[in-house]
Amino acid sequence: MPFKKYLGGLVEDAELNKNAGNFSYWAHRITGIGLSIYLLLHIYVLSSALSGPEEFTQRMQDVQSPLFALLEIILLAGVFFHMLNGLRITLVDFFGWTRHHKLFLILAVVFFAALMIITIVLQLPKFDIGNYGAGG
Amino acid sequence: MDAKLSNQSALTWFLQRITGLFLGFFLITHINVQHLFHDITIHGLINFESVRENLASSNLWKVFYFLFVPMVIYHALNGIWQIIADFRISRGAAILIKALFWILGALLTVIGALTLNNLF
Repeated sequence: MPFKKYLGGLVEDAELNKNAGNFSYWAHRITGIGLSIYLLLHIYVLSSALSGPEEFTQRMQDVQSPLFALLEIILLAGVFFHMLNGLRITLVDFFGWTRHHKLFLILAVVFFAALMIITIVLQLPKFDIGNYGAGG
Repeated sequence: MDAKLSNQSALTWFLQRITGLFLGFFLITHINVQHLFHDITIHGLINFESVRENLASSNLWKVFYFLFVPMVIYHALNGIWQIIADFRISRGAAILIKALFWILGALLTVIGALTLNNLF
Protein backbone atom coordinates (compact mmCIF):
# COMPACT_ATOMS: atom_id res chain seq x y z
CA MET A 1 0.00 0.00 0.00
CA PRO A 2 1.73 3.21 -1.15
CA PHE A 3 0.22 5.35 1.64
CA LYS A 4 1.54 3.14 4.44
CA LYS A 5 4.86 2.67 2.68
CA TYR A 6 5.27 6.42 2.24
CA LEU A 7 4.37 7.17 5.85
CA GLY A 8 6.76 4.43 7.02
CA GLY A 9 9.46 6.01 4.86
CA LEU A 10 8.89 9.40 6.49
CA VAL A 11 9.12 7.95 10.01
CA GLU A 12 12.26 6.00 9.08
CA ASP A 13 13.76 9.15 7.58
CA ALA A 14 12.99 11.13 10.75
CA GLU A 15 14.69 8.46 12.87
CA LEU A 16 17.77 8.33 10.65
CA ASN A 17 18.16 12.09 10.20
CA LYS A 18 17.75 13.73 13.56
CA ASN A 19 18.67 17.18 12.32
CA ALA A 20 17.24 20.68 12.31
CA GLY A 21 15.87 20.40 8.78
CA ASN A 22 13.91 17.26 9.55
CA PHE A 23 12.55 18.77 12.76
CA SER A 24 11.37 21.89 10.93
CA TYR A 25 9.77 19.76 8.17
CA TRP A 26 7.64 17.85 10.70
CA ALA A 27 6.92 20.86 12.90
CA HIS A 28 5.84 22.93 9.89
CA ARG A 29 3.40 20.28 8.73
CA ILE A 30 2.00 19.52 12.19
CA THR A 31 1.48 23.22 13.01
CA GLY A 32 -0.01 23.73 9.52
CA ILE A 33 -2.60 21.00 10.07
CA GLY A 34 -3.36 22.34 13.57
CA LEU A 35 -3.80 25.89 12.30
CA SER A 36 -6.09 24.73 9.48
CA ILE A 37 -8.33 22.97 12.01
CA TYR A 38 -8.28 26.12 14.15
CA LEU A 39 -9.27 28.22 11.10
CA LEU A 40 -12.42 26.11 10.70
CA LEU A 41 -13.29 26.58 14.39
CA HIS A 42 -12.54 30.33 14.18
CA ILE A 43 -14.87 30.76 11.20
CA TYR A 44 -17.52 28.68 13.01
CA VAL A 45 -17.37 30.86 16.15
CA LEU A 46 -17.38 34.14 14.22
CA SER A 47 -20.17 33.04 11.87
CA SER A 48 -22.50 33.40 14.86
CA ALA A 49 -22.60 37.06 13.73
CA LEU A 50 -25.02 35.79 11.07
CA SER A 51 -27.51 34.98 13.87
CA GLY A 52 -27.36 38.49 15.31
CA PRO A 53 -25.37 40.57 17.83
CA GLU A 54 -26.62 38.72 20.94
CA GLU A 55 -25.66 35.31 19.59
CA PHE A 56 -22.22 36.62 18.56
CA THR A 57 -21.55 38.23 21.95
CA GLN A 58 -22.71 35.08 23.74
CA ARG A 59 -20.45 32.82 21.69
CA MET A 60 -17.52 35.21 22.11
CA GLN A 61 -18.12 35.13 25.87
CA ASP A 62 -18.01 31.32 25.79
CA VAL A 63 -14.50 31.39 24.33
CA GLN A 64 -13.05 34.02 26.69
CA SER A 65 -11.73 32.54 29.92
CA PRO A 66 -8.37 31.72 31.55
CA LEU A 67 -8.51 28.28 29.88
CA PHE A 68 -8.94 29.85 26.44
CA ALA A 69 -6.18 32.38 27.26
CA LEU A 70 -3.86 29.40 27.74
CA LEU A 71 -5.10 27.76 24.53
CA GLU A 72 -4.47 31.07 22.72
CA ILE A 73 -0.84 31.03 23.86
CA ILE A 74 -0.45 27.50 22.47
CA LEU A 75 -2.20 28.61 19.26
CA LEU A 76 0.09 31.64 18.90
CA ALA A 77 3.15 29.44 19.48
CA GLY A 78 1.98 27.42 16.45
CA VAL A 79 1.28 30.58 14.44
CA PHE A 80 4.66 32.17 15.16
CA PHE A 81 6.62 28.99 14.49
CA HIS A 82 4.77 28.34 11.22
CA MET A 83 5.20 31.97 10.16
CA LEU A 84 8.92 32.22 10.91
CA ASN A 85 9.75 28.80 9.52
CA GLY A 86 7.61 29.53 6.45
CA LEU A 87 9.58 32.73 5.90
CA ARG A 88 12.81 30.75 6.21
CA ILE A 89 11.59 28.17 3.66
CA THR A 90 10.52 30.93 1.25
CA LEU A 91 13.85 32.77 1.49
CA VAL A 92 15.79 29.54 0.96
CA ASP A 93 13.50 28.51 -1.94
CA PHE A 94 13.41 31.87 -3.73
CA PHE A 95 17.00 32.97 -3.26
CA GLY A 96 18.71 29.59 -3.09
CA TRP A 97 20.23 30.40 0.29
CA THR A 98 20.50 26.72 1.14
CA ARG A 99 23.94 27.21 2.69
CA HIS A 100 22.46 29.50 5.33
CA HIS A 101 19.28 27.59 6.19
CA LYS A 102 20.59 26.51 9.59
CA LEU A 103 21.43 30.10 10.47
CA PHE A 104 17.90 31.07 9.46
CA LEU A 105 16.49 28.36 11.69
CA ILE A 106 18.51 29.69 14.65
CA LEU A 107 17.28 33.24 13.88
CA ALA A 108 13.71 31.92 13.63
CA VAL A 109 14.04 30.29 17.07
CA VAL A 110 15.37 33.57 18.58
CA PHE A 111 12.49 35.62 17.07
CA PHE A 112 10.06 32.91 18.16
CA ALA A 113 11.25 33.13 21.77
CA ALA A 114 10.96 36.95 21.72
CA LEU A 115 7.42 36.84 20.28
CA MET A 116 6.35 34.24 22.84
CA ILE A 117 7.61 36.36 25.75
CA ILE A 118 5.65 39.38 24.44
CA THR A 119 2.57 37.18 23.91
CA ILE A 120 2.65 35.72 27.42
CA VAL A 121 3.05 39.18 29.00
CA LEU A 122 0.12 40.57 26.98
CA GLN A 123 -2.05 37.53 27.85
CA LEU A 124 -1.43 37.82 31.61
CA PRO A 125 -4.57 39.91 32.43
CA LYS A 126 -6.69 37.16 30.89
CA PHE A 127 -5.56 34.74 33.61
CA ASP A 128 -7.13 36.88 36.35
CA ILE A 129 -10.71 35.71 36.81
CA GLY A 130 -11.53 39.11 38.38
CA ASN A 131 -11.19 40.69 34.93
CA TYR A 132 -14.16 38.74 33.59
CA GLY A 133 -16.83 40.95 35.20
CA ALA A 134 -20.25 41.28 33.62
CA GLY A 135 -18.99 40.26 30.20
CA GLY A 136 -17.41 43.60 29.23
CA MET B 1 4.59 7.39 -12.41
CA ASP B 2 4.24 10.60 -14.38
CA ALA B 3 0.59 10.85 -13.41
CA LYS B 4 1.55 10.68 -9.74
CA LEU B 5 4.23 13.31 -10.08
CA SER B 6 1.79 15.67 -11.78
CA ASN B 7 -0.32 15.89 -8.60
CA GLN B 8 2.07 18.60 -7.44
CA SER B 9 2.31 21.72 -9.54
CA ALA B 10 4.79 24.57 -9.62
CA LEU B 11 1.92 27.05 -9.49
CA THR B 12 0.52 25.74 -6.18
CA TRP B 13 4.07 25.66 -4.76
CA PHE B 14 4.59 29.29 -5.83
CA LEU B 15 1.16 30.51 -4.64
CA GLN B 16 1.69 28.84 -1.25
CA ARG B 17 4.82 30.94 -0.72
CA ILE B 18 3.34 34.18 -2.04
CA THR B 19 0.15 33.87 0.05
CA GLY B 20 2.36 32.88 3.00
CA LEU B 21 4.33 36.12 2.72
CA PHE B 22 1.14 38.21 2.58
CA LEU B 23 -0.36 36.24 5.47
CA GLY B 24 2.68 37.05 7.60
CA PHE B 25 1.65 40.71 7.42
CA PHE B 26 -2.11 40.10 7.58
CA LEU B 27 -1.98 37.72 10.51
CA ILE B 28 0.38 39.78 12.68
CA THR B 29 -1.85 42.84 12.11
CA HIS B 30 -5.04 40.86 12.79
CA ILE B 31 -3.71 39.25 15.98
CA ASN B 32 -2.37 42.55 17.33
CA VAL B 33 -5.45 44.64 16.59
CA GLN B 34 -8.20 42.14 17.45
CA HIS B 35 -6.59 40.04 20.16
CA LEU B 36 -3.21 40.66 21.82
CA PHE B 37 -3.51 44.41 22.34
CA HIS B 38 -7.16 44.17 23.33
CA ASP B 39 -6.59 44.73 27.07
CA ILE B 40 -9.63 43.30 28.85
CA THR B 41 -8.89 45.41 31.97
CA ILE B 42 -9.51 48.55 29.84
CA HIS B 43 -11.85 47.49 27.03
CA GLY B 44 -13.69 44.59 28.66
CA LEU B 45 -14.36 41.30 26.89
CA ILE B 46 -14.55 41.15 23.11
CA ASN B 47 -18.18 41.43 21.98
CA PHE B 48 -20.21 42.39 18.91
CA GLU B 49 -19.92 46.12 19.57
CA SER B 50 -16.18 46.11 20.26
CA VAL B 51 -15.48 44.19 17.03
CA ARG B 52 -17.73 46.53 15.02
CA GLU B 53 -16.05 49.55 16.58
CA ASN B 54 -12.60 48.22 15.69
CA LEU B 55 -13.60 47.51 12.10
CA ALA B 56 -15.38 50.84 11.66
CA SER B 57 -12.23 52.77 12.56
CA SER B 58 -11.07 52.75 8.92
CA ASN B 59 -12.44 51.81 5.52
CA LEU B 60 -9.16 50.02 4.87
CA TRP B 61 -10.26 47.21 7.21
CA LYS B 62 -12.80 46.18 4.57
CA VAL B 63 -10.06 45.82 1.96
CA PHE B 64 -7.84 44.14 4.54
CA TYR B 65 -10.33 41.47 5.63
CA PHE B 66 -11.81 40.76 2.20
CA LEU B 67 -8.26 39.95 1.01
CA PHE B 68 -7.13 38.23 4.21
CA VAL B 69 -10.01 35.74 4.60
CA PRO B 70 -9.92 34.15 1.09
CA MET B 71 -6.11 34.13 1.21
CA VAL B 72 -5.88 32.31 4.54
CA ILE B 73 -8.49 29.76 3.39
CA TYR B 74 -6.52 29.16 0.18
CA HIS B 75 -3.22 28.82 2.06
CA ALA B 76 -4.69 26.36 4.59
CA LEU B 77 -6.40 24.11 2.02
CA ASN B 78 -3.49 24.26 -0.42
CA GLY B 79 -1.12 23.32 2.41
CA ILE B 80 -3.22 20.31 3.39
CA TRP B 81 -3.51 19.39 -0.29
CA GLN B 82 0.28 19.45 -0.66
CA ILE B 83 0.65 17.09 2.30
CA ILE B 84 -1.94 14.71 0.78
CA ALA B 85 -0.32 14.95 -2.69
CA ASP B 86 2.99 13.85 -1.13
CA PHE B 87 1.40 10.47 -0.44
CA ARG B 88 1.37 9.75 -4.18
CA ILE B 89 -2.34 9.10 -4.40
CA SER B 90 -3.95 7.99 -7.65
CA ARG B 91 -4.95 10.51 -10.31
CA GLY B 92 -8.66 9.88 -9.68
CA ALA B 93 -8.34 10.40 -5.93
CA ALA B 94 -6.33 13.57 -6.56
CA ILE B 95 -9.05 15.04 -8.78
CA LEU B 96 -11.76 14.11 -6.27
CA ILE B 97 -9.92 15.61 -3.29
CA LYS B 98 -9.04 18.75 -5.23
CA ALA B 99 -12.68 19.20 -6.24
CA LEU B 100 -13.83 18.73 -2.62
CA PHE B 101 -11.24 21.24 -1.41
CA TRP B 102 -12.36 23.85 -3.95
CA ILE B 103 -15.98 23.39 -2.84
CA LEU B 104 -15.01 23.59 0.83
CA GLY B 105 -12.86 26.65 0.14
CA ALA B 106 -15.66 28.39 -1.74
CA LEU B 107 -18.13 27.57 1.05
CA LEU B 108 -15.82 28.88 3.78
CA THR B 109 -15.12 32.03 1.75
CA VAL B 110 -18.86 32.70 1.37
CA ILE B 111 -19.47 32.13 5.11
CA GLY B 112 -16.49 34.40 5.88
CA ALA B 113 -17.71 37.13 3.52
CA LEU B 114 -21.27 37.04 4.91
CA THR B 115 -19.90 37.16 8.48
CA LEU B 116 -17.69 40.14 7.63
CA ASN B 117 -20.65 41.85 5.99
CA ASN B 118 -22.57 41.57 9.28
CA LEU B 119 -19.65 42.96 11.25
CA PHE B 120 -18.98 45.99 9.03
